[in-house]
Amino acid sequence: MMILPNSLVFAIDDDRSVRTGLTRLLRSAGYKSEIFESASDFLKREQHAGPACVIVDVRMPGLNGMDLQESLIQRRREEQLIFITGHGDISMCAQAMKAGAVDFLPKPFRDDDLLGCVERALIRSAEQRRRSAEENEARTLLGLLTPRELEVMQLVVAGMLNKQIAGELGTAEKTVKVHRGRAMRKLNVTSVAELVRLTEKGCLAPVANV
Amino acid sequence: MKSVSQSFEPASVQPAARNVNSFIAPFDWRLPVIGLCVFVGYYLGAKVGFALTFKPYPVSALWPPNSILVAALLLTPRRIWWFVLLAAFPAHCAAQIQSHVPPLMILCWFVSNSFEALIGAGLTRYLVRGPIQFTSLRNAGIFCLCVVFAGPFLSSFLDAAFVRWNAWGQGSYWDLIRIRFFSNTLAALIVAPLIVTWATNGIQRLRRARLSRYLEACLLLFCLFSTSFAVLYKFRPGADSAFLFLTLPFLLWAAARFGALGTSTALSIIGFLAIWSGSHGHGPFSGGTAEQNTLSIQIFLIVLSIPMLFLAAVIEERATGETERRESESRFRIVADSAPVLIWMAGVDKLCTFFNKPWLTFTGRSLEQEVGNGWAEGVHPDDLQKCLKIYTEAFDARKAFVMQYRLRRYDGEYRWISDQGVARHDAQGNFVGYIGSCVDVTELINKERVLHEFEERVVLAAEAAHLGVWEMDTTTHDLWMSDAARTLFQFDSEIRLDHAMVQDRVHPEDRALRDSAIKHAIETQGQYEIEYRALLPDGTLRWLASRGRCVTGENGTGSRLIGVVIDITPQKEAQDLFRLAAEGSHLGVWHWDEIAKTLTWDGATRDMFGVSADAEITIDTFYRALHPDDAEQVKQIWRQALELQLPYQIEFRTQRTDGTIRWVDARGRGYYDEAGKPLWMSGVLFDITDRKEAELQAQQNRDELSHLSRVAAMGELAASIAHELNQPLSGITSNAAAGQRFIDRGNVDLRELHDLLGDIVADGRRAGDVIRGIQGMVKKDVSAHRRINLNDVVISVVHMVKPSAVLHSCELGTFLDPDLPMVEGDPVQLQQVLLNLIINAFDAMDDTPLSRHREVVIATERDGDSVTRVSVRDYGVGISAEARDRLFEQFFTTKTKGLGMGLSIVRSIVESHGGKIAADNADGGGARFQFTLPASAKTSVV
Repeated sequence: MMILPNSLVFAIDDDRSVRTGLTRLLRSAGYKSEIFESASDFLKREQHAGPACVIVDVRMPGLNGMDLQESLIQRRREEQLIFITGHGDISMCAQAMKAGAVDFLPKPFRDDDLLGCVERALIRSAEQRRRSAEENEARTLLGLLTPRELEVMQLVVAGMLNKQIAGELGTAEKTVKVHRGRAMRKLNVTSVAELVRLTEKGCLAPVANV
Repeated sequence: MKSVSQSFEPASVQPAARNVNSFIAPFDWRLPVIGLCVFVGYYLGAKVGFALTFKPYPVSALWPPNSILVAALLLTPRRIWWFVLLAAFPAHCAAQIQSHVPPLMILCWFVSNSFEALIGAGLTRYLVRGPIQFTSLRNAGIFCLCVVFAGPFLSSFLDAAFVRWNAWGQGSYWDLIRIRFFSNTLAALIVAPLIVTWATNGIQRLRRARLSRYLEACLLLFCLFSTSFAVLYKFRPGADSAFLFLTLPFLLWAAARFGALGTSTALSIIGFLAIWSGSHGHGPFSGGTAEQNTLSIQIFLIVLSIPMLFLAAVIEERATGETERRESESRFRIVADSAPVLIWMAGVDKLCTFFNKPWLTFTGRSLEQEVGNGWAEGVHPDDLQKCLKIYTEAFDARKAFVMQYRLRRYDGEYRWISDQGVARHDAQGNFVGYIGSCVDVTELINKERVLHEFEERVVLAAEAAHLGVWEMDTTTHDLWMSDAARTLFQFDSEIRLDHAMVQDRVHPEDRALRDSAIKHAIETQGQYEIEYRALLPDGTLRWLASRGRCVTGENGTGSRLIGVVIDITPQKEAQDLFRLAAEGSHLGVWHWDEIAKTLTWDGATRDMFGVSADAEITIDTFYRALHPDDAEQVKQIWRQALELQLPYQIEFRTQRTDGTIRWVDARGRGYYDEAGKPLWMSGVLFDITDRKEAELQAQQNRDELSHLSRVAAMGELAASIAHELNQPLSGITSNAAAGQRFIDRGNVDLRELHDLLGDIVADGRRAGDVIRGIQGMVKKDVSAHRRINLNDVVISVVHMVKPSAVLHSCELGTFLDPDLPMVEGDPVQLQQVLLNLIINAFDAMDDTPLSRHREVVIATERDGDSVTRVSVRDYGVGISAEARDRLFEQFFTTKTKGLGMGLSIVRSIVESHGGKIAADNADGGGARFQFTLPASAKTSVV
């Protein structure tokens, strides 16, 4: 098992016994961890620049686990959540998973289970970060395009020929070619396939027609 | 021997007769004296008579001896008249012999003189009882009739006859009679009164007379004498006879002022003077023949004397009358003033004339103030009208009267006076006014009033108590009944009653008993006490209690039976009801006599204690019958009640001789004397076994229910229990796994390992506590009452319930008073209470949106020194108006699922701890449940 570099595990539980146990367990597994008593305390901390996961108790006084999940989604954070619970909240479990939690563990949990989750969560977090980064990069590149260029690129990605694009946009093919060429140079892609990949990364919505 | 010339001095004319004035003079030494006086008097008188003869007329104008004899006879008792006559005889003889009168003549004259004297004196004495005094008209009249007229008249015949027989004198028979008659009459008029008046009280009056009287008498005598002398001596024979009347004023003076005594004396002076003057040739009676002169003098003197004597008599009579009246008045006054009553007198005009000394002393006023109508000022204004009315009415009717009025006493106090007045009349029967006597009857009236009031009060009291009073005469069986008694028997208030009439109204079955009771009382002269039924004419049945006593009358005669009767129908009915109720309700009655130390049980009580109906029972029987577990407490409560005058009430078990156990509720009340010492105590016993068993069963059911409720509560908390266990468990597993990894890595920090294991132990203990808490809640028997601090209970419950709060998304808040007093209670039950309330609070806030305040606040508070208050408050839906009254009812719930037992159990727990619970809506929304518990309260022992 490899510990991802610069990874950090957060644990939030209002119960001391649980906190202590978790801390030790994580340390024994070699993870770096930070423990919080409440979710609001955690949110005050600035985002960690690295793969991170949060082990959080579903039911807590004040902001509970579900609220935290929602909050993180809203803020588009990349931390992965692992829910633990002392109550038998089955209904919550489904809800949590649907909202993107890594796993939902009832207490008392098995140490292997938890650590496994942590590992997966961190990997996912890293993955998520990479994807996020790529997306950002793509977006940045795409942001360099003028709106006309963007339009042309969208249609190119849709598989249209230059002529068709010209007809679509109501301009000369030549113009299209010029835009395309400039865009490709800006985006630093050489092929349509690359372009497509880039737009996908940039989460550009494909234009569906034909 | 006094000479004749001295005889004109009135004081010494006839001193001889002075001792002869008492009838009861002792015989012995007076008799000779009387005889001597008579002898001397007669002789002297004869001599005087001879001297008073008109010469040559042989007959004297005035022949004293006969009159002397008459006077002597008048003055002496009849039994010695013979002696008087005998004494006179020698004198008569002596006098006559000197005149050369023949012996036979002397004898004859003596006989006729004696005859005259006897007739005169005899008649007079016969007609006049008592001493001869010229003090009344009647006496004077009788004297004149008998002595002056009858005696001389009758004896004149005899005298004349003797003279003719002896051929002594000249003249015809009738002349002789006439001469003799006038002579004797004159003597009787002049001499006899003189002697008699002087003899009877002349000397006494002389002795008693005042100086002024003496002087007056002397003056009178002087005037009389001088006038008479002038008229009868100095005047010539031819003088106007009218001058004779000059003597009249002095005669009148003598009569008026000196009575018969004076008159007779004056008359004798005039008489002697006239005769002497005339016989010696002086004065108006000296002209004419001797016979004529004699006659005219006799006539003059007779005519003068008789009226004068009568006048004197009348005047004396009046004077005597006056004296007597005055004397009588003064006697009366003495009597009146010394009488113990108040006396008053009124005249014919209704005005009062006299009040005796006691009256004046009583009113403190003087006679002048009281006379007339002055006495009316002392009468009480309220009584005055009535008093005057009675007085005037009686007065006008000349009837006697009695009246009572208030008269003011000298000290200003009004006293009740009983005034009795009668009319008085004089000797003639004329009405002269009223006389009355008064007595102070204030005390009497007061006593009467008090008695009357007392009587009234007694009667009123008897009436108020519906006591009828009755009295029966044991011999006649007459019966008197008061109005109240009559009402009881429905008798009219007027009809006469007797024993038979009452017996008629007595219920037939009770008649014999009543009759014998009455007879017994009469025979033994003792008490009478009975209860019986009266069957009244209109069909009503009454129970009556009658009590009486035999009272013997005075002198041991005529006994009476007196008593009271009272209607006891209500009591009897109540008694019957009570008896029925007691019989029907297994009520036993007991009585403990503290003085005699005896215990009495009725049948039902004996039954409860398993004692037979006739067994003897003592206080030990009672003690032995008590159940051993309750015996001590019962004995203690019993003694306390008896000695401290507390009411006695206790429930305990009895163990009957056959072993069965009964629950009994005993109540009683004691009766104490003035010092507070117990005299007796009595009360009732209820057999409450059934009730007790039901109670115990109910308690058991409650306990079971409570237990079930706890179990259910625990069930509700299962999730939070699980959660509570999960926390430490996850801690344990995490720590343990971490420890293993540390060891695997070879990276063992022993100190860290040590800490790790310590945490595991702590977590294990924590889990154990949770388990124990649950176990405590779900165990069945819950009687561990001890002193606890409610704050600890709250904290433990909050801890237990925190996960549940999280589950419900509710917050828990606590406000605990640090100064909370301890309470006596079962911590588990109190936890149950709080748990229940908190869970309810969670449920109440189920529908409150998450954004709103979802909090349960538990607060403890000290309320004074003896009360703790705990409140559980939520911000939920609150309590609706319909639910409010039924909140603590069993099986009442507003939840969709739930038995509805929770709050009723909560209330029963709170109340069994001696507290109270209430719920209301709190300000700011939500409900607040509050209960109070007494500090270190004692709970009721089951």
